[in-house]
Amino acid sequence: MTEKINLTIDGKEIQAQPGSMIIQAAMDNGMYIPYLCYYPGMKPYGACRMCVVKAEAPTPDGSYRSLPGSPASCTTPISEGMRVETNTDELISLRKGIMELLISEHPHGCLNCHRIDLCGPTDVCLRHVTVNDRCVTCPKNERCELKDTVRYMEMELTTPLTYNNRHLPLEVKDPFWDMDMNLCIVCSRCVRACDEVRVDQAITLKERSGRSIIGTSKGISLLESGCEFCGACIDVCPTGAIVERDYKWDKAEVKTTTTCPHCPVGCQTSLDINKRNKLIRSIPVREAEANQGMTCFKGKFGLDYANNRNRIKTPLIKKNGELVEASWPEALDLVASKLSQFKGNSYSLISSDRGTNEDHFIAQKFTRQIMQSNNIDFSSNTNSEIFDNLSSMIGHSSATNTIWNLLKTDLFVIVSSNITEQHNVLGVPIKQAISKGSKAIIIDPRETELSRFADHWIKPNINTEHILIGGIIRSIIDQSLENHDFASKSCENFDEFRSSVWDFDLSRVSKETGVSQEEIQDLAKTISESTATSFLYSLDTISSEIKESTSTAIIDLALLTGNVENPGSGIYPLFTGPNEQGARDMGCVPNFGPGYSHISETGIGLGELDNACQTGDIKALHIIGNQASISSESGQKIKNALDKVEFLVVHESFENEFTAKADVVFPSSLFAEKDGTFTNLERRIHKVNPALGNKFDEDEDWRILCQLATRMGANNFNYSNSEEVFKELSPFLLSTNDINFQKISQSGQIYSVKRKLKFKPINISLNLNSISSDEFPMILTRGRILEESKSDAKIQLINDKNSITRNEIIELNSQDALNNNILEGDSIKIIGDNFELSGIAHLNGINSGIVSTTQLFGSIIEKVQEHKTEDPMLHFDQLNLIPVRIEKPE
Amino acid sequence: MPADNETLRKQIIEAIASQHRPTVTVLSSLLAIQDAIGYIPNEAIEEVAVQQDTTVNAVFGVASFYPNFRFTPPNNHSIEVCWGPTCHLEGSSNILQAVLDYLDLKEEGDTQDGEFSFRFNTCLGACSQAPVISLNHELFGKISPDESIKLIKEIKSSEPKHI
Repeated sequence: MTEKINLTIDGKEIQAQPGSMIIQAAMDNGMYIPYLCYYPGMKPYGACRMCVVKAEAPTPDGSYRSLPGSPASCTTPISEGMRVETNTDELISLRKGIMELLISEHPHGCLNCHRIDLCGPTDVCLRHVTVNDRCVTCPKNERCELKDTVRYMEMELTTPLTYNNRHLPLEVKDPFWDMDMNLCIVCSRCVRACDEVRVDQAITLKERSGRSIIGTSKGISLLESGCEFCGACIDVCPTGAIVERDYKWDKAEVKTTTTCPHCPVGCQTSLDINKRNKLIRSIPVREAEANQGMTCFKGKFGLDYANNRNRIKTPLIKKNGELVEASWPEALDLVASKLSQFKGNSYSLISSDRGTNEDHFIAQKFTRQIMQSNNIDFSSNTNSEIFDNLSSMIGHSSATNTIWNLLKTDLFVIVSSNITEQHNVLGVPIKQAISKGSKAIIIDPRETELSRFADHWIKPNINTEHILIGGIIRSIIDQSLENHDFASKSCENFDEFRSSVWDFDLSRVSKETGVSQEEIQDLAKTISESTATSFLYSLDTISSEIKESTSTAIIDLALLTGNVENPGSGIYPLFTGPNEQGARDMGCVPNFGPGYSHISETGIGLGELDNACQTGDIKALHIIGNQASISSESGQKIKNALDKVEFLVVHESFENEFTAKADVVFPSSLFAEKDGTFTNLERRIHKVNPALGNKFDEDEDWRILCQLATRMGANNFNYSNSEEVFKELSPFLLSTNDINFQKISQSGQIYSVKRKLKFKPINISLNLNSISSDEFPMILTRGRILEESKSDAKIQLINDKNSITRNEIIELNSQDALNNNILEGDSIKIIGDNFELSGIAHLNGINSGIVSTTQLFGSIIEKVQEHKTEDPMLHFDQLNLIPVRIEKPE
Repeated sequence: MPADNETLRKQIIEAIASQHRPTVTVLSSLLAIQDAIGYIPNEAIEEVAVQQDTTVNAVFGVASFYPNFRFTPPNNHSIEVCWGPTCHLEGSSNILQAVLDYLDLKEEGDTQDGEFSFRFNTCLGACSQAPVISLNHELFGKISPDESIKLIKEIKSSEPKHI
């Protein structure tokens, strides 16, 4: 801990962190200096001059020297013994003058009017402020920072009512938000948030002096300007210049902080609820440690489906082939009596990846104790191979370090992950670190947003990633570049592991992967020279047979270079479901119990479920809220097998293909109606709060299961609230400190785990089951990036909304093109199973057998915007590899 | 893509590459492009963004800051009239008015017929020759309004000079 600096502000002696600015020091000590362009967490800027102060610093001879003029406190660093005055008469009049200049370009008739709190939009105005210029007609009214600041400064009515209206057209054609640059005070918070914090530069400060304003290059649409629609600019805007379009003028009655249900980052977001109990806005919480005020398009604009009234409102029972409404006791009695006939291995339960820890815990307790079956799994457990060896190799199946620890990382090794889309906020510290000089190695056949930031973007042959990493390990060991002390002393099994890598002869590795030996040696050197490396992998593009060996190789590489838990280093296995970590912790999987306890017999999991249903091994199936996973591959398979199941119970909020085939449907609560906990990818336990309360007759999944259990004769399922369930499950979280359910703050609470590091030998296991076939001999790798400067992105107006229309460029290998009789610039068609894409051929040197195309991220945003009352994940196209063939239309 | 677009991109890339200076920046690249083709087309913003590893928005932010960069192709001939202090004292305001009247313009800008791009200049650096005008970047000193108009009429019939 560095020594604090002593200074005096307005006669009060305070202490502050060295290096902070005067305004920060004042705020940290509960003092307020008016400001508009300053924003915590962003670099000092000094645009608005609102925070001017008088300051003097001591000189060596004991006297005080005043700082010249009236410095802005947001750009003046503190020094020992400094004396600061913030509220002298001179400063107050100076500030009022500055504010008058600022509001001379903003409608201000109401801002400095004493009747502001009494007026309605249609009242007769004593000052003749036109309706359009009144604060009450501004979407930001009552949450406007500019207004608050003007009110605080007690501006007088002396300023004239006329102001310089810029007469700029409103920008309302892009998805999700409206911009009215006539209200902008050019503080550039939004530009800085986009550049410094999100590292996107999707908006900029155009022109200069009197005409300076926020916009994009030549006014292009945000769909092509590199915007990721995270809404960071909206969250920092102090006026009504940039606002969310939906529920634009609605006022919040209640604000509830809860956890976003879209990905395992677990963003804490404050939900604004209006007086008609609708979720109108989501504002990420700046104080939360997991997301630090960040969120993404899903957490900002993808929550509206909670307002969708097209819900399953009561329990439904299938009678004569039709689902009819039923009462709770009737449905519960029916299910309890039916399920009693299927106790044992013919019963299977699939829990939702959006279930709370409480849901998962009760689901596995119900399955194991009441139904006496181990056939339990959760709906997004399609990537389990990458978690199987974590417990044995690093002691616990979770990430080894925190999300914002990535800021300290010097080198990122990212294997087959689309982080900026799947775990958007995780990408923020990565992009920030890279913009400050960190390096990145991306191993991925697809072009993703992060591959544009990469120093090395390696595209090995499909499914040879593990061989490439093995080659890197071999090269490190050959050159004795490993962290020998760490590998031999802190980890077990080093010698056995070392002898296993001799298979990875570099010439062979190079032949299999298509990556040159020099490049492999170069990568080995880069990785071993870095002081803090983080490894992130979700292995989206890798076949399930070799996922385990790939993740083993990655962890071995991390152990070999000593990058486990030090600042800036870590291993981050990535999954997709928001509470998958919780599902594993709670033992909601077929192969272990709560707290990773051993169970005698492994049950049937998601992977084998469709087969087990087809063969009749599973007769009763219980599916809990799987709306988002229906479109997934495993969801499709299970859907096809449902006809064979004798008894199907579904808990669901919206009708879908599963509910259509169900015998009984229970209405299930959505994220905004649940009370419970989520565990994010850094093992941080977050609270999920019932922001909306119950809308219809729905209930939380764990309560439904408890009622079933009680009806089936159990007496240990009597919980009156989720806190009691949490009390029962918390001992299974390997925690040394007790976690109090009521006291989990928005920063959450990380539970600690015991580390045990152990190498696992690797081998060259070639994946012989190629994903291509005779019908579809090529493999399509699809990328998606925010902005493509040189491509022909054309924006067209469709129904008054901007829409991307462009010819996709399809890259293919020159030799493959020759074989298919295709020339540069030809229109070609790519055809796969349930997939079709037309585009223009571009021949280059990509690996043979691969065709590649890169979309703009805006195209996904358009789709999500079009279906905004539905779960955005239903319309989110994952970038899987697709086997295809090429056709040339006549 | 049309062929002339390709040529334009080639010219731009050449202009960016032709900078022989220790540090190449967004600004220096934009200047090099404007010197080479007379204005900053969309393609130039894109190429500079790619070359400088930044976004089109950041490049446009820089380009739009400086009024000297123009985003539309210039007319055939450029006319600049100095209105610096020395030229002003030597009567440049009369020249300015005469030229504006001749070109039928109210302020700086391009003529409708596509012949002239007219700008004020704060100093052409030849104060000893004041008043000075520049026609297609050639300086004419100690000049009168009538002589200016005569010279402008002359260059109108000469070969277009785009830059």
